[in-house]
Amino acid sequence: MGLFPGQKAADALALVPDLVTADHDPAADRAALEALCDWCVRFSPAVAIDGDDGLFLDITGTDHLWGGEAAMLVDLVSRLARWGVPARAAIADTAGAAWALARSGPDLAIAPPGEQSAAIATLPVAALRLGDAAEAQLPRLGLHRVGQVLALPRAQLAKRFGLAAVLRLDQALGAASEALTFRRPASPWFDRLAFFEPISAPEDLARVAADALALICARLEAEGRGAKRFEVVFHRLDGRAFPVRVGLARIGRDAQRLARLVKPKLDMVDPGFGIEVVTVHASAVEPMAAAQARLDADAAASADETLAPLIDRLVNRLGENRVWRADPFESHVPERSVVRVGPLDPPAAARWDADRPRPVRLFKRPEAIVAIAAELPDYPPRLFTWRGRSHRVRRAEGPERIGQEWWRVGVEKGQTGPGKIRDYYRVEDDAGGRFWIFRQGLYGGEDAPKWWIHGLFG
Amino acid sequence: MAGSREARLAALRGRIAAMEAGTRTPTPVLSFGEPLIDGCFPGGGLPLGGWHEVTGAGLEDETGAAPAAFVTQLIRGLTDRKGGAVVWVARRADLFAPGLLGLGFPAARLIQVRARDEAETLSLLEDALSTQGVAAAVAEAEAPDLTAGRRLQLACEKRGGFGVVLHRRPYGGRAGGKPRLVSGSASFSRWRIAPAPSGPPPDDIGLGPPRWRVELERCRGGRPGGWILQAQEAGHGPHPFRLVSQLADHDVAAAEAGRRFG
Repeated sequence: MGLFPGQKAADALALVPDLVTADHDPAADRAALEALCDWCVRFSPAVAIDGDDGLFLDITGTDHLWGGEAAMLVDLVSRLARWGVPARAAIADTAGAAWALARSGPDLAIAPPGEQSAAIATLPVAALRLGDAAEAQLPRLGLHRVGQVLALPRAQLAKRFGLAAVLRLDQALGAASEALTFRRPASPWFDRLAFFEPISAPEDLARVAADALALICARLEAEGRGAKRFEVVFHRLDGRAFPVRVGLARIGRDAQRLARLVKPKLDMVDPGFGIEVVTVHASAVEPMAAAQARLDADAAASADETLAPLIDRLVNRLGENRVWRADPFESHVPERSVVRVGPLDPPAAARWDADRPRPVRLFKRPEAIVAIAAELPDYPPRLFTWRGRSHRVRRAEGPERIGQEWWRVGVEKGQTGPGKIRDYYRVEDDAGGRFWIFRQGLYGGEDAPKWWIHGLFG
Repeated sequence: MAGSREARLAALRGRIAAMEAGTRTPTPVLSFGEPLIDGCFPGGGLPLGGWHEVTGAGLEDETGAAPAAFVTQLIRGLTDRKGGAVVWVARRADLFAPGLLGLGFPAARLIQVRARDEAETLSLLEDALSTQGVAAAVAEAEAPDLTAGRRLQLACEKRGGFGVVLHRRPYGGRAGGKPRLVSGSASFSRWRIAPAPSGPPPDDIGLGPPRWRVELERCRGGRPGGWILQAQEAGHGPHPFRLVSQLADHDVAAAEAGRRFG
């Protein structure tokens, strides 16, 4: 019809009056490619995204599952075609040769091992990924086919088109290695279960998740290892994948416990027309000594062992940032003196100073209070109003002077200095309520000092 | 004669307790170390296999500082005795661990959990209470209904867990309005905590140990009571509080009965 990429919309409309146009949406294209990448995990765990429209699959050692490379390639392309995704695919020893064959070679081309040089010799030079400048220049020199470029002396090629061009050639031929960024790093801790009939019943999902976890846990146990993160991915017939992730507070390999953690999350899996493949992936794999279950486990189990399942339940239900233990951090600024760590992490070396009184409740942001001025500059106020109620100060303790940490990166110049010094007082009102208030700034400065409340002692 | 009457009464009490407890064995108790207070509870102290409600008064309804300090002080001894962790479930993350350390509470044993809503808070508390290795669990919730309360009670009985529900109004919830009150509850006891003016500090410098006006409003099988309690300083015995005085506005009969038991 005379349409080509890069054509103006008006020209195209003149050629084809009933043309359907859509705005280019790079973000959506990328998301679709990522979804496709996740789906391809059913063929191989090592899938890398290439540019805007390509995927590399490292199928080393997985083609036998489909009965050969040809059958695998046909299966991949026909599945894609079924959902209306036009695709071209090729298999070769190197990523570069496969790239060239898939884009410029015959459809479903397979280069026999070690013969990629012959397979790509007849392809146009654009198949070599040499870059725009080189691709425009080569035909002008009469070099149209890859074979012609391969026949040239390498030194001159490098001189004229740069070392990158030679590297691309070597990558296509297998003389240089090419690093692919896999969407998920290749890991031996990967297992898959495929079904003859697609499954969709919730109890079936729970059962196959348990089976898949049992597979990987058996392997972990055989090698004396455990893992902290497990991911069970349900691959639907139409190519969508639903990952279910569970994490453990301590490394483990108890399939039953993992299955119990996975089960409540299965609600998020929409089986649609059915699930055909389940993959399971373990990460953060570490050596783990086998522990013998003690007969009196109930009585003498250590706190860590009994708490770990609870922490796992909480973390998997709420997310990691909602379950924490507060550990000391070396800082005098109260809001920075606490750092959140995992509940079962080893205790920190730092200590809080027990002699410095700290409130039971610390406000995220100090609240402004109206204070009736003190008798003397370093005295707490006699009376202050907070949240519409006035409190007469009966007893007080302080001040404890806390300055901003000027040495820290990110602390601006205006945030330090005498105007930002805080003098904290612990005051008790008539009713016995105890408040942690501070004065920011000093008397006699440019700005009048302000009073704030930062916490409650109760 | 009086002696045999006492003995018969004690036997009757034992039979009633056995009926109420069913097949459960009597649970250990958390003693205050003060006969006037311990006498209010049927077992001579707060039983461990149960949960308790703690409410604040006035503004404390929203900030929940005095109740939190009181609860911290109360369960401090529990972690020493039983070991294990304390789980604190809340919807707001304003509990400040260094402050708890100042009250003598082992902050390194505290696991803080931030829940998303009221129902989740209570179910997390239930989960924590039924776990071995958790010495005590505290939840900041608005008001558990009877079903939730009963579930908590069953969870407590599983492992003898000590549960506390700290009544606290969530942000944006009926500011100034009356707190939601659920009639009846499965809790073992209900406390109302308010700060009280502290005594003169030692050497007349700074602030003395904090004091609370503690009212035991309801207690299953026990008597209500009211006291002014002061935090026991570290190194002054195993009990968390020191009785300063009894509240005057409680009926005299209760006070007299307490004296008899003491």
